[in-house]
Amino acid sequence: MNEIDEQLREIIPRLRRFAVSLTRNPSSADDLVQSSLERALSSWGDKRPEGDLRAWLFSILYRQFLDAHRRSRRYARMLEFFTGRDDAQPSVERTVMAQSTLQAFDQLSTEQRALLLWVSVEGLSYKEVAVILDVPTGTVMSRLSRARQALRQLSDGEITSPSLRILK
Amino acid sequence: MISMPPSERDLHAYVDHQLNDADRRLVETYLANSPEVAAQVRAWQQDAQQLRAAMSGALHHTANPELDPALIRQRLKRQTRRHLASAAVLLIAVGVGGLSGWQAREMTLVSASAPMTDAMQAYRLIAQQGILPADYKVSDDGDMQGWLDRYFSRANRLPDLSDSGFRPVSGRLLSTEQGPAAMVVYEDQSGHKISFYVRPPGPKNNLLPRGSRSDGELQAEYWSGAGYNYAMVSPSNLPAAQRLKQTTQF
Repeated sequence: MNEIDEQLREIIPRLRRFAVSLTRNPSSADDLVQSSLERALSSWGDKRPEGDLRAWLFSILYRQFLDAHRRSRRYARMLEFFTGRDDAQPSVERTVMAQSTLQAFDQLSTEQRALLLWVSVEGLSYKEVAVILDVPTGTVMSRLSRARQALRQLSDGEITSPSLRILK
Repeated sequence: MISMPPSERDLHAYVDHQLNDADRRLVETYLANSPEVAAQVRAWQQDAQQLRAAMSGALHHTANPELDPALIRQRLKRQTRRHLASAAVLLIAVGVGGLSGWQAREMTLVSASAPMTDAMQAYRLIAQQGILPADYKVSDDGDMQGWLDRYFSRANRLPDLSDSGFRPVSGRLLSTEQGPAAMVVYEDQSGHKISFYVRPPGPKNNLLPRGSRSDGELQAEYWSGAGYNYAMVSPSNLPAAQRLKQTTQF
């Protein structure tokens, strides 16, 4: 039990980082990590596959995020009603010129952010990513290629806002 | 073994250190003679490096004690126990229901369809048992109406119960089958509590004629207005409860 907890404690900072990159919000990121850990610990015995613990936890967190995201879109109207504003969705203003890689990264789609974090930052293998996303390795590679191109374009500022274009 | 010239996939695999040594050397030789492709690959590598650098700080945030595995384990254990406890309650209820037959059945039928049952449940949960904490508490110059207006601006105003010594002290948002609800708790000097409860009439637009009913030790006054349903819930034995009944301002 303690050995597992030690392993988990080492991975938690990585889970939090991944969660922030998905939610773009530290406090909801921690909620996401917490519910993912709960899910992981309660299904430990029968569901935990052999192999990289980190990859398994990433996959749980990613699914929980997608589920929550779907739910939150469905309840976005109610949320808006409750809080007076809609903070379930990230800003729609995605046309701002990206000045840094991180800003560019933040403009990518959810799956592209996850892919780049898993592969470029965490160094997971294509195979592990394929298991998480439940797609063939070839699909992972072509999606990764597209994510990289998108990041490149955004970092170069090739996608500029329409107003800037008009001013030129 | 990959074929030459390397495909784009092979180049990505090269960037991600996912090629075997032989393939890796092949790609390196190829890149040495293809400056354009090499520049492209370098740009990808730089992006990856920058991303790693930019995100490395996020690993050194202060730990959140709520996320400690030992604590989460404990919490899970408590939850399981609570589920077992509610399962036990359910079993007892079924047992009792079996014994007392139709009477119990009718009771549940009535309570399921009785108006503003949720308001009374909310009173029990919040005002009596204190299970759900308040979202908003009135400080010295706090404005309960202002808080309520943030969510229910078109609704009836909060009734003024200061004549009976009751003042609004806290508010709580709830979600119900009929939509979002809010409950405001009034308290008097000796700690008696009355609640004001407002929510949408629900998908069937179930508006209520003015009425009153009691359930156990609680009494509810209910009505509809400005597109919402309302209830005021208080203990039946409270003198102020009689006054609520007589008040016609709602």
